[in-house]
Amino acid sequence: MSDELIQLAQSHLQNIPLQVISQGAEAIVFTTKTHPYLPTSKDSHTEYIIKYRPPKKYRHPQLDATLTKHRTIAEARLLQRLTNIPEIQSPGLIALDARNGIIWMEKVGYELIDYDDKISSLKNWLWRYNDNQEKALTEEIKIALEKVGCMIGKAHVNDVIHGDLTSSNIIITEAQEACLIDFGLSYQSALPEDKGVDLYVLDRAILSTHPKYAEQYNEWLMAGYERGYGKDKKSLIKLKEVLKRYEEVRLRGRKRSMLG
Amino acid sequence: MVHLDLHLKEGKTSYVAIGLEGSANKLGVGIIRHFPGPFSTTNRAEVLSNIRDTYITPPGEGFLPRDTARHHRNWVVRLIKQSIIESGLKISEIDCICFTKGPGMGAPLQSVVIAARTLAQLWDLPLIGVNHCIGHIEMGREITGADNPVVLYVSGGNTQIIAYSEQRYRIFGETLDIAIGNCLDRFARTLKIPNEPSPGYNIEQLAKKGSKYIELPYTVKGMDMSMSGILAHIDNLAYDLFNNKKHNKTIFNDDGTPKVTVEDLCFSLQETLFAMLVEITERAMAHVGTQQVLIVGGVGCNERLQRMMETMVLDRRGFIFATDERFCIDNGIMIAHAGLLEYRMSGKGFDYSDTVCTQKFRTDEVLIKWRD
Repeated sequence: MSDELIQLAQSHLQNIPLQVISQGAEAIVFTTKTHPYLPTSKDSHTEYIIKYRPPKKYRHPQLDATLTKHRTIAEARLLQRLTNIPEIQSPGLIALDARNGIIWMEKVGYELIDYDDKISSLKNWLWRYNDNQEKALTEEIKIALEKVGCMIGKAHVNDVIHGDLTSSNIIITEAQEACLIDFGLSYQSALPEDKGVDLYVLDRAILSTHPKYAEQYNEWLMAGYERGYGKDKKSLIKLKEVLKRYEEVRLRGRKRSMLG
Repeated sequence: MVHLDLHLKEGKTSYVAIGLEGSANKLGVGIIRHFPGPFSTTNRAEVLSNIRDTYITPPGEGFLPRDTARHHRNWVVRLIKQSIIESGLKISEIDCICFTKGPGMGAPLQSVVIAARTLAQLWDLPLIGVNHCIGHIEMGREITGADNPVVLYVSGGNTQIIAYSEQRYRIFGETLDIAIGNCLDRFARTLKIPNEPSPGYNIEQLAKKGSKYIELPYTVKGMDMSMSGILAHIDNLAYDLFNNKKHNKTIFNDDGTPKVTVEDLCFSLQETLFAMLVEITERAMAHVGTQQVLIVGGVGCNERLQRMMETMVLDRRGFIFATDERFCIDNGIMIAHAGLLEYRMSGKGFDYSDTVCTQKFRTDEVLIKWRD
């Protein structure tokens, strides 16, 4: 399928060289060295990300157009909002073509030289050490995971719910800082319920992707999360509410007997 | 590879099971034969009999537990007799009796369990309780030959997206409130269209004549979905249409003539609901990394759903598997099939104290001993 879809993407992005880096259920992600409106020098190494939501043939064209437009706009809006919150690292928004489902953003992360040059998502970053227990549980990893947890906490303090927290949607930058990506399912909400579910999704994701060390990793993430709320009294009350709801979500009926 | 024949009795060349299903308004009895050895294209399960009787209510009414249970009690003996005759077997050739343990409606389940227990004592045979969803999945796999698919299980009581991993069918996404079949059935009740042969089928026929798409809420949450809001919304539209509420500009033109028909409403409802199903299926496929999709459950018969799914799957260069109404809609044969697999692994029936039914019984509670 991809050839056809890439051609379609190319027709919306004429004269822009595209390179596919990932293909999910909803969108195709490309990299390019061309900036949409700034002049690009030939030897520039800066890369940009283009996220393209192709039309889905199976659904009614009217429904498809509405969904693509809504989701693209929502994601761009959130990215824009996040750039105004300095504690949360996320790719900056560069350009938006809502009708065609295209978002341009900054590229974050780097290629892991010791792991087949794969992108430095938390998943790959942790998987490098999966077979080596000593390396998998070092202080370096602890600090990084606490930073990740802290950033998720900061997002929640600002009422941003990521909606799809998995280790592939978190990038570790070269400076070993955490950065959140893929806000396709994100929304804003102040409800402890939504935050609890967000944490639960992360918990499940770590458990299924890094089963060997999941318990320790989750502990570090949660330690960082609590730190992300800061020390003032109001935030601590909110934190307590979220953690209580998180426990409830874990024990809840429909999902209770999910064994992985 | 799991060895399926550890408990093959001496002198026997095959296994035979009878299955009783009655978790909702269908009462089904089926008899299946397995031959020793793993399943393959040459070693298929043999369907000896597969009959069903459906409790149909008048237009505008749903089936109530008490009346459905009465229907099952009235028909179960006749159906069992007929299926034994159809299969041409002697009772002594049957190895075990399988029944639906759950999930489902309490009263109908109970009436079938009592029938199964009685048979077990009359014929002195072991009893096996089967999870209804596992029955659907295993029968779907056996009929279509799908090896390790993402399973979309859509019926009147369930909407789940399931994939196999480490001896369990794990639920990746599901409805957060009502099931898709329930949503369609209840809209059929609002429209007061007949429940014969099934409300969903009649909606499908009406939808084929519709062409105008009316925007409805679209509620996918990750791999989960929610449908109660969509139902409430379209119910309101139908109410306004029937009662000539001309102020509703979504369905009436400025001059008071209706913009949409009942057929358009059915069409829009199907398009929206099925788009949601296909979307979560696609997400699950990407997540699990498989190329196969299997649709099971009553709503799986819907041709529009099958076509939409096919479009998505072919775009991903995958394979789609679906069955026809004999196996999609609740039936006894799937219970017999899944129960017989369980019996082949353990060689004995359930303890008598375990041969009860339960309304809540999740798909991932069952240990799938027969797969590795």
